[in-house]
Amino acid sequence: MELLSALSLGELALSFSRVPLFPVFDLSYFIVSILYLKYEPGAVELSRRSPVASWICAMLYCFGSYILADLLLGEAPIDYFSNNSSVLLASAVWYMIFFCPMNLFYKCISVLPVKLIFVAMKEVVRVRKIAVGIHHAHHHYHHGWFIMIATGWVKGSGVALMSNFEQLLRGVWKPETNEILHMSFPTKASLYGAILFTLQQTRWLPISKANLIFFCTLFMVSCKVFLTATHSHASPFDTIEGFICPVLFGSAWGDHGDHHHDDHGSSQDAHGGPSSFHAPQPLAKSKEELNEGSRKRKAKKAE
Amino acid sequence: MCGGLSAFAMEYVWEEVTLTFSRVPMFPFFDIAHYLVSVMTLRQQHGALAVAWQNPLVSWFSAMMYCFGGGILSAILLGEAPVKFLENNTNVLLASSIWYIVFYCPYDIVSECYRFPPVKLLATGMKEVTRTWKIVGGITHASSNYTDAWMVLIAVGWARGAGSNAIINLEQFLRGTWKPETSKSLKMSYPVKISLVGAVLFTLQHAGKLPMEKHSLMFCYTFFIVVTKIAMMLTESESSPLTPFEIMLGRMLFGFWQSDTSSVPCKSSFNGTGTRSQHYSTNVETKRRHNKKTE
Repeated sequence: MELLSALSLGELALSFSRVPLFPVFDLSYFIVSILYLKYEPGAVELSRRSPVASWICAMLYCFGSYILADLLLGEAPIDYFSNNSSVLLASAVWYMIFFCPMNLFYKCISVLPVKLIFVAMKEVVRVRKIAVGIHHAHHHYHHGWFIMIATGWVKGSGVALMSNFEQLLRGVWKPETNEILHMSFPTKASLYGAILFTLQQTRWLPISKANLIFFCTLFMVSCKVFLTATHSHASPFDTIEGFICPVLFGSAWGDHGDHHHDDHGSSQDAHGGPSSFHAPQPLAKSKEELNEGSRKRKAKKAE
Repeated sequence: MCGGLSAFAMEYVWEEVTLTFSRVPMFPFFDIAHYLVSVMTLRQQHGALAVAWQNPLVSWFSAMMYCFGGGILSAILLGEAPVKFLENNTNVLLASSIWYIVFYCPYDIVSECYRFPPVKLLATGMKEVTRTWKIVGGITHASSNYTDAWMVLIAVGWARGAGSNAIINLEQFLRGTWKPETSKSLKMSYPVKISLVGAVLFTLQHAGKLPMEKHSLMFCYTFFIVVTKIAMMLTESESSPLTPFEIMLGRMLFGFWQSDTSSVPCKSSFNGTGTRSQHYSTNVETKRRHNKKTE
């Protein structure tokens, strides 16, 4: 901490944690969220067929974190919609992205440098939401560690955790997969961030909240900007999980793997579905590695 | 002088009429009509009679969803107990008795009577009156916590007025008889649209932006929706008087120029039999988006 004070990072972190989010950072959050909605298959068609359904989906994408956190804590899910200015800003962004003549707005924000700036600002908002969510939960449940972690997690991941129900609104029902079963990088990062912030809130982590916000934001911004710029869906946690998970949760190709290698061989699909019922796999395994593993098991059995 | 007096008398009569109208209690007659229409809608669903004879509890539950769906949805939105509608024992008993006599009356007397057009028209007209009361009640209830939050007031008023559609979908989904492609939110029916209009109007009046008294607005809105609904039922047409405005707004704001002129936006069934030209142009657009995404 002396190093930090020598570099006067403490004051920087403090002023950073007090930057008002509305309107610029919130605007970028809405833009990136609704951009991801537009990437969903059938979203543009939905906006032409039923603008109301498209608007509701856009609102879920933008304010899903607040709705889920309110549901968890037993408050009115519609509570955040009392902020008229935020809702109007999100609606304006939705309208511009979906209905701008000649798609001008979409073309402007899809330019990679501009998109990277918005993605960076979105991560600032995400980390701040996690911190505020944990603070809010701490206010209601002083010793509810898991409640704080859960609230912070849903605040960080937002609509991803209710993606099944949001897709239902669009007329798509895919119960075979959900965000918890196949966690994307932002959801996982929100979980780890929620754990860190809860430890900080309960004084187990000897770091001030402003510093933690600062470092988490730096980490998230750099990871997400790098991932978006390289168009990759990998995650920086893959390598670490590749080491830790076999130790903690048992290797996928250990005792459990021998009993069920028939299942692996016969019904292998992109999600590695059957194996997830029997043993928690390290999520770092890709489809190619799984197929290779099953081939090796078959070869061993044939010997 | 005479003209001034008669104008004053007219205004006085108008005030009296609208005030008296706004104080009419919904219980019991209008509530009976509302429950009757709701349960008859349930009965006309495919397979509802079979469910009623095999599993009365499920049928009763569905009937309660149809009758009280709006209140349930608005309670969920506001973070109150969804079972709050069970608090009012009299209404629940009334709805249950109507469910019983509709489904289990000997020789189906009640449903046969309901098919008789004047009875159907009267009941539907009275149900539309209850819709106004529900929207106003929802907005008043929500405004106790959220005085300035227009979005919340509109959402709660809309949920109260037309929320039963969403709750019905949820209940059918839990029973396993719902298909996501035919979601009512994708194909907004007339009551849903008219409830949205009503919720917006009453919220504006509540916030003081509309220079009308609440009872006058209630009277005018109720008159409009009752007349429109009865006219639609008599002419058996699907298009409401709002349709021209919808088409105009749709073309201006949401790009409905791609659909052909015969199909009405938001009304035609888009279950894969929709306008081909619209699908083609939007498919082309979607392909371009996907290409851009994978660059």
